[in-house]
Amino acid sequence: MSRIFADQVLPSSKMRKVWWWRDRAIGIAVTWLLLMLLVAIFADYLAPYDYAALDLHHRLAAPLGLGGTIAHPFGSDELGRDVLARLVISIRISLLIAFAATLIGAILGITLGFLAAHFRGWVEQLILGCVDFQASMPFLVLALAVLAFFGNSLLLFVGLIGLHGWERYARVTRALAMSANEQAYVIAVRQLGASPWRLYLRHIMPNIASTLIVTMTLAFPDIILLESGLSFLGLGVQPPLTSLGNMVGYGRDYLTRAPWILVLPSLVISLTTLSISLVGDWLRDRIDKTLS
Amino acid sequence: MARFILVRFARAFLTIGVVVTFAFVVLRASGDPALALLSPETPAEAVEAFRKAWGLDAPLWVQYVKYLFAVVHGDLGQSMRDGRAAITVVGERIPVTLMLTAPALILNLMIGIPAGIYAALKRDSLGDRLVMMVAVVGFTVPSFVLGLLFILAFAVELPWFPSGGAGTWHHVVLPVITLGLGGAAVLARFSRSAMLEVLGQPYIRAASAKGVPWASVVTGHALPNAAIAVLTIVGFMVGNLIAGTVLVESVYSWPGLGSLLVVSVASRDLAVVQCILLVVAATMITTNLTIDLLYGMLDPRLRQLRSGRR
Repeated sequence: MSRIFADQVLPSSKMRKVWWWRDRAIGIAVTWLLLMLLVAIFADYLAPYDYAALDLHHRLAAPLGLGGTIAHPFGSDELGRDVLARLVISIRISLLIAFAATLIGAILGITLGFLAAHFRGWVEQLILGCVDFQASMPFLVLALAVLAFFGNSLLLFVGLIGLHGWERYARVTRALAMSANEQAYVIAVRQLGASPWRLYLRHIMPNIASTLIVTMTLAFPDIILLESGLSFLGLGVQPPLTSLGNMVGYGRDYLTRAPWILVLPSLVISLTTLSISLVGDWLRDRIDKTLS
Repeated sequence: MARFILVRFARAFLTIGVVVTFAFVVLRASGDPALALLSPETPAEAVEAFRKAWGLDAPLWVQYVKYLFAVVHGDLGQSMRDGRAAITVVGERIPVTLMLTAPALILNLMIGIPAGIYAALKRDSLGDRLVMMVAVVGFTVPSFVLGLLFILAFAVELPWFPSGGAGTWHHVVLPVITLGLGGAAVLARFSRSAMLEVLGQPYIRAASAKGVPWASVVTGHALPNAAIAVLTIVGFMVGNLIAGTVLVESVYSWPGLGSLLVVSVASRDLAVVQCILLVVAATMITTNLTIDLLYGMLDPRLRQLRSGRR
């Protein structure tokens, strides 16, 4: 019998150090996300002014610390609108759109994944064909084409962003449901005469939910990036409504004269996507290493 | 092998057909083109005459066949903004965009792959952590934010490069770096995990166990196998690059396809948008087809599997 020493199986001190740093990073990321969530929920109380209120006497006012006054602590934009108020409302709008779009994508993708796994045959081939098509086209270009054809409305915009990433859920759900279909508990439930609805929603769904949640977390930053990218181009959320990408897009005309208009929203987008990515990677390593 | 290639070609053509049909369906579903183009006060006879002139009074399938016929002949309608053929308007922008995307793709590969391989070989070292940290940041910071940051740093504070426009090689530097870094980050993450996956395989252990020096194990056994996995992501990278170009061209006012797309979408110049959509689709399909064929050539297992089964 060979002898195994403790330091061969236990994590090395180097690994522990890595883990320690990683835990700190995850902690910071989660804190940031909670903060964003709170800002989104209490946006109305945090905004010192109405986000669309003009103050033409104080256009392009500098923020506090750069010669500004407490009246506009984060400065004001080219129409004298308060940057803090706009930032807070933008966070709410961007997060709302991202949540709604993620939900749409997940519901669509999971449904199609289940359909493919249940019916197989040509239904599966059709769905897989759509998955391949969606995965091979850059979605930003498709989205822009649809916006050109249909014109822009908030409802269409949210639905469109929801279509981004459905193929990931479809692929994951199909694979997981197919392997679940071979397992004893599913066969048993089916033999007992459960309807497909009951089988997929009550029995298979809870068993694959953790993987789907990880997929969702990993898809969330992409959704935020897509929304802010389109809004940045002026083709997403339309004024007077505002979103983070929107603020950056309109702020870039004042890049040198009033950089504060776009610095904070840029920072918020980057930190939020970064935090969700970190949390998503961590969740994946924790829950399901097979996803990549 | 011939069959494998044939199937791939058939699928590519089918996908082009799907995109062409998609454009037609969306265009028709978005409302009556006659009403969209003409003002609401136009008299009914004039609308009727317009419909007749453009063949909009024919049954839908006749319109579809006509449309397909026109697309095959490269007739994609006229740009509403300057009245020239859409295909000419789009065609003259393609080389301008390639001036950004081609060097950016090279930059992607030159930074991303070595960084990923390095990180995998030095797994959990400080270097690995650093590379991965930079990669996560690079892939979560939106390209337009990165672009504006570069303008602020290297065009405004340190006036080394112009902040936008085209003309000299100076104009190319910032957009290419902006485009290149984001893609490099994705590629670094992917090549690292592909390399780690390969390094964990039994044949690597077997090779080291029989005494092959580690350097030869890496170059002779690990890299070729990881390369096949990395190849699959190149199609995704090209797609990313195209999406990134739209944003980066807009940031640096680069007069390429991306800027044209944004302007055309904003002014609803449908013929041009449709033409760009087809160009992008054709690019993606050609890229994926090339990758599939290369894949078949590089991986003998796959070749045998396909020809053996079908």
